[in-house]
Amino acid sequence: MILYGIETEYGISRETPGPDYDVVAESIALVRAATQSGVRMRWDYSCEDPHVDARGFRVEALRQDTDEANYFAQDAARPLSFSEIKSDLALKNGARFYNDHAHPEYCTPECRQIADLVKQDQLGDRLVMECAEALTSKTTDREEGRVRLYKNNTDFQGHSYGCHENYLLPRDLAWENVSEGMRAFLATRQIFCGAGKFGWEDEDRYIGPGFQISQRSDFFSVMESVDTMQQRPLINTRDEPHADPNAWRRFHVIVGDANMSPYATYLKVGTTAAVLAMLNKVDPTRIPQLDDPVGTMREISRDPRWSWDCHLTDGSPTTAIEVQRQYLALVREALPEPEDGFQLDDWKKVLDDLETRPETTVDRLDWTAKLDIVSKFRDAENLSDVDPWLMSLDLSYHLLDESEGLYYGLRDQGQFRQPPGAITTQENGFPPPTDTRAHVRGLCVQRFGQHVEAAQWDHVRLRDETASLELDLRRLFAPEAVAAAVAIIERAQHVADLSPLPFAKPYKSV
Amino acid sequence: MPEPARRTRPPAPVPGGGGDDEGDGPSTPKVEKPNTDDLLKRMRKVDPDQARRYRQRTGE
Repeated sequence: MILYGIETEYGISRETPGPDYDVVAESIALVRAATQSGVRMRWDYSCEDPHVDARGFRVEALRQDTDEANYFAQDAARPLSFSEIKSDLALKNGARFYNDHAHPEYCTPECRQIADLVKQDQLGDRLVMECAEALTSKTTDREEGRVRLYKNNTDFQGHSYGCHENYLLPRDLAWENVSEGMRAFLATRQIFCGAGKFGWEDEDRYIGPGFQISQRSDFFSVMESVDTMQQRPLINTRDEPHADPNAWRRFHVIVGDANMSPYATYLKVGTTAAVLAMLNKVDPTRIPQLDDPVGTMREISRDPRWSWDCHLTDGSPTTAIEVQRQYLALVREALPEPEDGFQLDDWKKVLDDLETRPETTVDRLDWTAKLDIVSKFRDAENLSDVDPWLMSLDLSYHLLDESEGLYYGLRDQGQFRQPPGAITTQENGFPPPTDTRAHVRGLCVQRFGQHVEAAQWDHVRLRDETASLELDLRRLFAPEAVAAAVAIIERAQHVADLSPLPFAKPYKSV
Repeated sequence: MPEPARRTRPPAPVPGGGGDDEGDGPSTPKVEKPNTDDLLKRMRKVDPDQARRYRQRTGE
């Protein structure tokens, strides 16, 4: 069984950012302009520890600790507490929304079905867009001061921000199997889930113009580590399951691009979950291993011929498509039909198309759609391949404004296929997935929001005049158990009415 | 400075219509051919210097 979710850090700016533009203050203000109700500043940080490494140890320091300390010192000058700077909001769909490293970040609730994941990711886009409109409405000059949000991963100057995926896995799947089994897959999956980029970068600097298929591949230089902000690894070893650590591990994927196309999100998460589910069902020696996965990831992204050549550890030549086909074959053998609704034929189809007629994937993939429309514009305007306008158009592809963003322009013309779960413009509501513990968290926020003292992925603490209870969600994964709990919460009038929940226990409020 | 990408002129997109190779998955939208002219107008409004002004802090 695999649960998954996505965390997206959005880029934030104004139409005309002034010289004193403060991206941290903007991010805080945006989160605090949230249009969806939730529980504010009750996120429980006391149990988070990003230093714990899945390889079985705890690191003394992360590479970003120095930067973090500097940022913390800068932020200490603000007349705001730590909680106010974070401005965490636990939302009624079970999601989390907060200011993280000067970026508004939306974390989907845990999903079990790929359609739910697609929907919840899009609900996040809609939420942050509404926040941007709310914040813009408070400005005196609504044109120059218009808030601009970008679902991308770079500012083209070497500053990258993430779109991470999380996959809950059984702990008895050995870490070595996860790490070694995912390297070739993660290095090559960008051919269908890359978001495309007009520019080459390195960590902390712009190199020059040129198209590549991934936004993020420039920023990875290490095979495996617990870091996430500097010398980023292909395989992130953070061991923070947000569940019973004896039974579960969380695989934290940090190499992915933020996708505008929901179909690309569907492929990205659907294929990754399928491969993870396959790992403990096949002989690990059958899984392809690349000679240099980290270097290969960058070479594939920048390959102007789209041949995506690479080498296996035995020196034999292969291609990204062939590596993906090998993974697909292993997945078909291990689980012919993924339980989450993802269709393996859609994976095969995109590989077939990328191999024989990549231009046909503009109805699914961000990088081909972006390249196609920007190339048309370049030709129409007689621009050179190195014109900086191309980079601005790249940025506009990711603009979260349905009236101006280039992705939305293509979508509204019907160019993009919509995967299961994709929301329509007429569709309202902000519901949680109904078959994961996110439903319990979301219901607590909806029905007992004012009584929530602390919230986390794996627990919720509530207190009113009738009781103080902690809901321990570390083992709440069976859909039947979630449904039974939801029935109790929906009937409850007071916190004490939640006592029958098998995972509720009294706690002493501090 | 890297060599600019060479293969940057893919043929026209092929939207609309659901071909015979469609499976049970999501289908291609049944729409008229996208009006590229409208989109090119939208693109002309993009400030060429927009990316140059865009600055973010490193995130995760």
